[in-house]
Amino acid sequence: MSVAIIGVGQTGYRRSFPDKSSRELIWEAARLALEDADLDIDAIDMVISGVAPDALAGEASVERTAMLGFGKPFLRINTGGVTGSSTVFAGNTFIRAKRARAVLVVGLERMGQATSSQQVFNTIFDPVYEKDFPLTTITMAALRASMLMRLYGYTAMHWAKIAARSYQNALKNPLAHLHVDITPEDVLNSPLLAWPIHRYEACPMSEGACAMVLVNDQMVGDRTPAWIQGAASITDSYAMGDRIHRPGATLVDLLSLKLAAQRAYAQAGVDKPRDQVRAIELYSAFSSAEAMAYPALGMCEASDGPRFVEDQFTDPKIPVFNPSGGPQGANPVSVTAMVRIAEAALQVRDMAGERQVADVDRAVATGQGGATQFSTVCVLGKRPAP
Amino acid sequence: MDLVKIEGKWNFNYTYFAGESASRFFHELRENHRIMGTRCTKCRRLLVPARAYCDVCMAPTDEWEEVGPEGTLETFTIIATAFPGLPPPPIVMAYVTLDGADTALINLVHGMDLSDIEVAAQKLNKLPRVKVEFVDEPTGRITDFSFKLI
Repeated sequence: MSVAIIGVGQTGYRRSFPDKSSRELIWEAARLALEDADLDIDAIDMVISGVAPDALAGEASVERTAMLGFGKPFLRINTGGVTGSSTVFAGNTFIRAKRARAVLVVGLERMGQATSSQQVFNTIFDPVYEKDFPLTTITMAALRASMLMRLYGYTAMHWAKIAARSYQNALKNPLAHLHVDITPEDVLNSPLLAWPIHRYEACPMSEGACAMVLVNDQMVGDRTPAWIQGAASITDSYAMGDRIHRPGATLVDLLSLKLAAQRAYAQAGVDKPRDQVRAIELYSAFSSAEAMAYPALGMCEASDGPRFVEDQFTDPKIPVFNPSGGPQGANPVSVTAMVRIAEAALQVRDMAGERQVADVDRAVATGQGGATQFSTVCVLGKRPAP
Repeated sequence: MDLVKIEGKWNFNYTYFAGESASRFFHELRENHRIMGTRCTKCRRLLVPARAYCDVCMAPTDEWEEVGPEGTLETFTIIATAFPGLPPPPIVMAYVTLDGADTALINLVHGMDLSDIEVAAQKLNKLPRVKVEFVDEPTGRITDFSFKLI
């Protein structure tokens, strides 16, 4: 049983949508996905919704206000940063298990309504041992970025180059939140948030909705599919401090992403990822998260990471990272991991407009949640997995 | 036509239950100024701060051992920008492996000259030795102590 993505709907992403209620955002993304799939809501067997912390929207269980069609099974998924990809994977699993022929997956991020989002992010930490400290998504990334610099020789300029490349890519993506012409120097000159992270390296706070239609192989017909060749999800210990002394895989080695990639590649028949994957949509909310992903995805050895950053600007054979601009272009938290898969699907379907990468036979999308506690890897292709 | 915006506020009160293991850890902080870990009965790692079980082995961790009071800094950040609802910068936060422990523990680093953040960062990059420093009147919370460079 092969599963394909045949419809993608995105509202686009902005700081806020004061012109749309939460349910209207969900409806718009779902409507666009169904239109792209050329399917009516009656053809959908099941709806799966992904929304991360309710406190970011200030609305509890906001997804229930946006029922899509009548009389269908419905599920809500929340796995933090990987909520979006977990939602897609749940749809994939239901179809592969023959419990549904067509599933509509939809995610919403409504953090434009939050006026102190870093305070909300502090509530995701353990109230017993951690929450008294200023742990946030930014400081969590900074703790690892400083370790990467010391271990592998990354510099502030590497972080700046990665971020600037993503901003330049986002200029070609009309759905991105930020369209700003930022150079590496601009990144370095922006205010320091938490050493070593500068403001323009951090992703923006965005909201918006994304939806996709997943179907079994019999329902694809003459539509243009992106086949799910591989999908794997791996968890790790919660406490970052527990991973610092782990033999063979420290805090910055992203063991969960490495194992997810190995499983997803095996399902997809990928054994030389650097040659067999053309576009990679990374859930890299910070440049350091992208650097950690290179070795985990089999692109290079960890110690060669700084050189790999430089090489990707000169070697056209290296896969294109975040052609959409990635999370630097828009980071609607609940849906960011779904947007990675949606953008990878558009690349595989040759529907990515000005941001289309040439000759994409296969694309990869990643998800990262918690303190890199949850990792997902999705491999999409023009054909089903061999 | 004006788009309507409705003000909202979530301001709930909670009482968090720390459980027996953390309660004993906090008791040791308050009464004995000691930092305790618990050893996994299976992988034998000494986990700090103390907890009831090892999430890798799914095994109980019921042997209590003291660690520190000195240790080695593992990684850090220096918060330089103010965020709504969080304490004012600059703040140094670090993971430290206390002597004897197999895991690192997060806490604040106090007593550093932060007039030049880059200089302070380079000093921390050398992974200095640190020691635990208790507040004058511990209350049985993780904030009863912080780290200080030796």
